[in-house]
Amino acid sequence: MPIYDALYDYKNTLRHILVRHEQGAAHAAEGYARLKGKPGLCMATSGPGATNLITGIADAMCDSVPIVCITGQVAAAHLGTDAFQEAPIIGMVTPVTKWCYQITKTSEVPSIVAKAFAIAKSGRPGPVLIDITKNAQTDFFDFDEQETIKTNVSWSKKILSPQATDIDQAAKLLNNAKRPFLLIGHGISIGKAEEALMQVAEKGNFPTASTLLGLSSMPTTHPLYMGMLGMHGNYSTNKLTNKADVIFAIGMRFDDRVTGTINTYAKQAKIIHVDIDKAELNKVIPATLGIHADAKEFLEALLPLLTPGNHAEWIEEFRMLERQEKEQVQDAELFPEGKDITMAEVVRMLSNKTKGTAAIVADVGQHQMIAARYYEFERPDGYITSGGLGTMGFALPAAIGAKIADPAREVIAIAGDGSFQMNIQELGTIMQEKLPVKIIILNNEHLGMVRQWQELFFDKRYSAVDMKNPDFIKIAEGYGIAGEVVTEREALGGALDRLLDSKVCYLLDIRVRKDENVFPMVPSGASIADIRLS
Amino acid sequence: MKYTITIFADNSPGVLYRIAGLLLRKKINIESLRVEEHNHFEHVSHFTIAIELDKEQLKKLVSQIERIIEVREVSFAPTLS
Repeated sequence: MPIYDALYDYKNTLRHILVRHEQGAAHAAEGYARLKGKPGLCMATSGPGATNLITGIADAMCDSVPIVCITGQVAAAHLGTDAFQEAPIIGMVTPVTKWCYQITKTSEVPSIVAKAFAIAKSGRPGPVLIDITKNAQTDFFDFDEQETIKTNVSWSKKILSPQATDIDQAAKLLNNAKRPFLLIGHGISIGKAEEALMQVAEKGNFPTASTLLGLSSMPTTHPLYMGMLGMHGNYSTNKLTNKADVIFAIGMRFDDRVTGTINTYAKQAKIIHVDIDKAELNKVIPATLGIHADAKEFLEALLPLLTPGNHAEWIEEFRMLERQEKEQVQDAELFPEGKDITMAEVVRMLSNKTKGTAAIVADVGQHQMIAARYYEFERPDGYITSGGLGTMGFALPAAIGAKIADPAREVIAIAGDGSFQMNIQELGTIMQEKLPVKIIILNNEHLGMVRQWQELFFDKRYSAVDMKNPDFIKIAEGYGIAGEVVTEREALGGALDRLLDSKVCYLLDIRVRKDENVFPMVPSGASIADIRLS
Repeated sequence: MKYTITIFADNSPGVLYRIAGLLLRKKINIESLRVEEHNHFEHVSHFTIAIELDKEQLKKLVSQIERIIEVREVSFAPTLS
């Protein structure tokens, strides 16, 4: 209450977005941070307000997103007494924050707030929570600016510049490689290393593949870009991971969705692993050369030591497998014979109409994988999604944050009918703030990814996956948001045009094939070599 | 194998909880634990934690402890019995 009372005096200088649920606030802060490259801030009241933030905080922790969360707390004198709306939030969020702190004295506010932002964005970014007791919000103290600045630098965990010997060794391995393979992750976008990456890839002529969160760091249509890694990544990138002689992984963490079973992952390859978080080196995959460094700094130092490479034959191996995937999977999804609309054709048409420059904010499920696979990203930070935690309900609030971060960019939330309903209340925030966020629901009236697993791995024993949905257009209408249902292929182009031409929020409920599966797929627990095309 | 982990960290509330949380997440039991003030003027605490773990897992654990903002230095050695 006291903080909000103070905000009244800053109405014109500090923009406050009133969300409808605290989880939405945390995801919106994430969406803001992902597009702005600066920490997003969210606030919640004590007790339930604070606990509702936790899913978003855990999400930010998994995906290295800098957010600062401020929670209210009962007065210091009442801590631990089961006071009204008291929750021990520090105890709850410690394992899912990079740092957290409870302020019980007003004099701590300046230095702790400064420290919170510095920690959130430094090194490997992450969520920070500050819990402020009520007395600390209302008391007074003498503010000493010098003291604040001094406190601000004492905590820092230094990221050292890469060692010359490491750079030399990496260059040697790459220069001598016959089948080098460059794997990129979220670290490229976080470190703003896109340009440096492109120069390294082009000079070394390295085929390159991306993790889910690395998407759009290299344009999809770049001649050296081979596709996505992992469970629903591309055929060539997964297969040839097990044929490369040198794997150069940068800003990625060998997540289990990328590696499949690690017993058979890239055993033949020498692995150069560069990450800003030392704890990621040798965590999952032992590295031949593990380098603790910032992605951009390392790539820039490496570039002059690389000899121009030519790996045309090796790249052709990727292209051959890519053609196989195109014939067996992509063509059927992009040019379907049946009358039902497929998710893939919607995403590709959207990609063409936006020339690959929109910021796609995807939820979690089949539509997320299809959006990742079929949108052709031409601009960095083009794909924002919940990768590590896989939080359904992420897209709508995150799109709100992203739109606020970059109002000039077309921000399009792509959700499934299931995930859209998990934070549907944020339509109210869009209405109140008049945010021209575009929303596409790829509606298959199922929890599609779960249904796919039940079909493929549980003998079609469909258990709790069909959804009886509300009329999404009527709900949007209730919030003053226009929209339309699309059921026919012929109507799709016009509907997407209206969505993109709209100067205000617009929603499409696109009815897609109900039994569509996402392929290729590395079954859970299988080797990436066993990736299935059907 | 039994190891003793030695940690120097800022003497502030929640550091022990954060370290213990890392152990809990991996279901590692603490065999013994001692926390004392190491340097009163710089507010540094000295943690000594004995656990049983294989060396590879231990190294991963140690680098995750190093990641804690308040932690300044971590080392480990086999426990002498």
